[in-house]
Amino acid sequence: MIAFTVTGIMLLASAVMVVTTRDLVRAVLWLAVTLVFTAIAFIQLRADMLAAIQIMLYTGGVITLMLFAVLLTWRRAEGKPQIEIIEWARGILAAGSFLALIGSAILRSDLPSGPPLSESNSALIGELFLRDSVAVEHAGATTELQGHILAFEALSVILLAAMIGAIVIARRRDAA
Amino acid sequence: MNPSVELQAWLLLSAALFSTGLFGVLTRKSAIGLLIAIELMVNAVNINFVAFGFARGDHTGQVIALFGIALTVAEVAVGLALAIQMSRNFRSLEIDQAQELNG
Amino acid sequence: MTELLPLPLVILGAPVLAFCLVALTPLRKNGLLAAQVVILLSTLSLIAACVAFFDQLGNPDLRESWTMRWMPMGGAQAEIGWLIDGTSAPMLVVVGLVALCVQVYSVGYLNHEPPHAIGRYFAWQALFVFSMQSLVLAPNLLQLFMGWELVGLCSYLLIGFWWRKPEAAKASVKAFWVTKTADGGLLLGLIVLFSLSGSFGWETGTLSTTELNLITILLLIGVMGKSAQMPLHIWLPDAMQGPTPVSALLHAATMVAAGIFLIVRAWPLFEAAPFTLDVMLWVGAITAFLGACFALVQDDIKKMLAFSTCSQLGYMLAALGAGGMAAGYFHLTTHAFFKALLFLGAGSIIHAMGTNSMKAMGGLFWSMPLTFLLFTVGSLALAGIFPFAGFYSKDMVLESLHHSHNTIPLGLLLAGVALTATYVGRSLFLVFAGRCRTPDAHPHEGPISMLAPMVVLAALTVGAGFMLFEPFYELLGQDASFHWTALGTGGLILSIGAIGFAYYTYRKGPITVFRPISELILSAPLDRAYETAWNRILLVGARGVAWVDRYIIDGAINAIGWVCTLMADRARKLQTGRADHYIGALVGGAVAIILYTVIAYSMWGGAQ
Repeated sequence: MIAFTVTGIMLLASAVMVVTTRDLVRAVLWLAVTLVFTAIAFIQLRADMLAAIQIMLYTGGVITLMLFAVLLTWRRAEGKPQIEIIEWARGILAAGSFLALIGSAILRSDLPSGPPLSESNSALIGELFLRDSVAVEHAGATTELQGHILAFEALSVILLAAMIGAIVIARRRDAA
Repeated sequence: MNPSVELQAWLLLSAALFSTGLFGVLTRKSAIGLLIAIELMVNAVNINFVAFGFARGDHTGQVIALFGIALTVAEVAVGLALAIQMSRNFRSLEIDQAQELNG
Repeated sequence: MTELLPLPLVILGAPVLAFCLVALTPLRKNGLLAAQVVILLSTLSLIAACVAFFDQLGNPDLRESWTMRWMPMGGAQAEIGWLIDGTSAPMLVVVGLVALCVQVYSVGYLNHEPPHAIGRYFAWQALFVFSMQSLVLAPNLLQLFMGWELVGLCSYLLIGFWWRKPEAAKASVKAFWVTKTADGGLLLGLIVLFSLSGSFGWETGTLSTTELNLITILLLIGVMGKSAQMPLHIWLPDAMQGPTPVSALLHAATMVAAGIFLIVRAWPLFEAAPFTLDVMLWVGAITAFLGACFALVQDDIKKMLAFSTCSQLGYMLAALGAGGMAAGYFHLTTHAFFKALLFLGAGSIIHAMGTNSMKAMGGLFWSMPLTFLLFTVGSLALAGIFPFAGFYSKDMVLESLHHSHNTIPLGLLLAGVALTATYVGRSLFLVFAGRCRTPDAHPHEGPISMLAPMVVLAALTVGAGFMLFEPFYELLGQDASFHWTALGTGGLILSIGAIGFAYYTYRKGPITVFRPISELILSAPLDRAYETAWNRILLVGARGVAWVDRYIIDGAINAIGWVCTLMADRARKLQTGRADHYIGALVGGAVAIILYTVIAYSMWGGAQ
């Protein structure tokens, strides 16, 4: 309980910092903090492997990417001290109403109240990715779980496409 | 703690995170700022999935979140490439500069 | 033979083959060859027609028909095909025979024309034979209408053969236009017939008398146009601009007879429509009388014959109106022979003299004796002198009116008989008697290609009366005996007397008391009336309709287009090109959807 509260507050605080700082580099760094706290949240939700991947990929990879991008692109002096109140007001209105909406929906709805996940099983996750179906023994009964190998392979294709796309898009276009 | 209450709490947290990201999307003027805010939103969604998986007692939520992470990484890569190209062409990252496809 | 190859297929197929050969290949550039092809195939068609006719004679109840559905119309069918029975068999022979005679004659008459013109002429002749025969063979009124329109087209083409001459071009358009206007009535009649009875046939079925009256009156309008009855006769005199053989074929023997044939064909419909019969009687009688009046004062020999045709068609129509279907039809047949003969003879005279004007002729008895003989045969038939064919048929016409006790129309017809004989005599004397009034003309007989057809027609004119009377009436299933009656004898005496009167005026000069009447007739008030009607009523109406079409109908369409463009113009302002606007819109839309879902969920509960 305490863990949840602390994590939650820290998470939200850093998120707010992300969206409010003017300086892009600062924003990226605050994003890194947010991502770490997200990983902590994952651990609390018994998703150990996911937390590890989160830190590796996101905090490691994505942040690096963003830093590179920010530093490589044209940055005129972010000399816009005045904060456009109207913009912010609109944003707060929209985001706030959204939050209210979703929040009310969450509070009204019937949520599953079965036994929560007891432990994190990374091997199982791996098997789920790499196999068509996985047999799991649970208190004597064997259940067949759906495997996600097709999606896995498709994902690799997407990653390839994204890679090629990114390279093509970011090329220098002036004919050398 | 009552599992469904705990779940509700997690869901509300993720909703708040999402809204923050939404605020950022609507407010930010530079392209990369936009991407950062989108990152926040995606994170919120991942937390949402994992929370649901946790409450249901199986690993499905984590699997989906894992897919989400992978796809998001790809999206960020492409987005940043676009931002870099945009900064070269328009000499600025501000999205209100890129109005040529209007009318 | 009919099992091997259906006769109608030959009757129709030969001319259409001729048309395709001549019109679509370089054959048309070689006039003589084209003529030979057409004449050969027309002979083939005629032989088939004769075989069909003799088959029919041998067995009067024979009905050979074949139809195929060519236009599926939900429920009822529009069919085409052929029908040979007692009604269509004689007409087949008439059309085929006169057409062949005219075609042979044309070879001689048009020999001064350039070869490609002759090719064109014969192509259209072939087309005409096909069209007319398909009209005659029609198993229903729809195909008859198709043939009707086609012969109208051929009339236009052939009248305008010398289209470089402005009068000829105008005349062809006038002919087409007047008949087309009348065809509006015909089409309307067909539409009403179809909508009321569900088919294009001529059986009365379950139609009431009023409906029949309506249908037949509309059909009659078309007939009046095609058969040049007053007041739609105005195109016929102008149609004389075409070559004389064309006048003989189309505007004496066959095409103008198509209207009469329609009535004969659809006789069950007309028989049961008393109102229409009365109209036909009066229109026919008036036309017969007035046509003869007009013919009497003409100087142009062809125009005289044109008005004569008009008048004789009036006789046919009056006979039909009085219920004498066989009489009218028989008169059509004999008229075809002797009028064609007269026209060909006139052509021979024109060809020799180089002019149409009878005042410039004279004394041709000495220089063209054979033409004189043939022309006289035709003239006497026209005047109804025994024993020529015209006597028999005209007698039957008068009889049928007498039987139905229509005294005034009968009186008109009798007056017409007198006038007919008068102008016949007048023309004979003006053209052949005395001395030639054009001093330096050297008329001579035409070539054999022109004389032979005339001889054939003359033979028929002489013989058709007493020879064909019986079989003809038998074919139509009517009483086939000819009686000498008081009316017939009286008519004969009247005709002979009128010819004598013509001779008297020829010798003593015209009787001046009639001059004002002739002036009145010649001043063509009717043409002027039509022109006024055209300008004032028709054009104004047409302009009004055009205005509605341009501003209201097109305006509505244009307005729709304009509104679309306007809205599109406004709508495209939404595309600002700015990503942040788009994101905002996205979020707004998402919020709206979620809102809706939440509200719907909470209001109606359960999964929506």
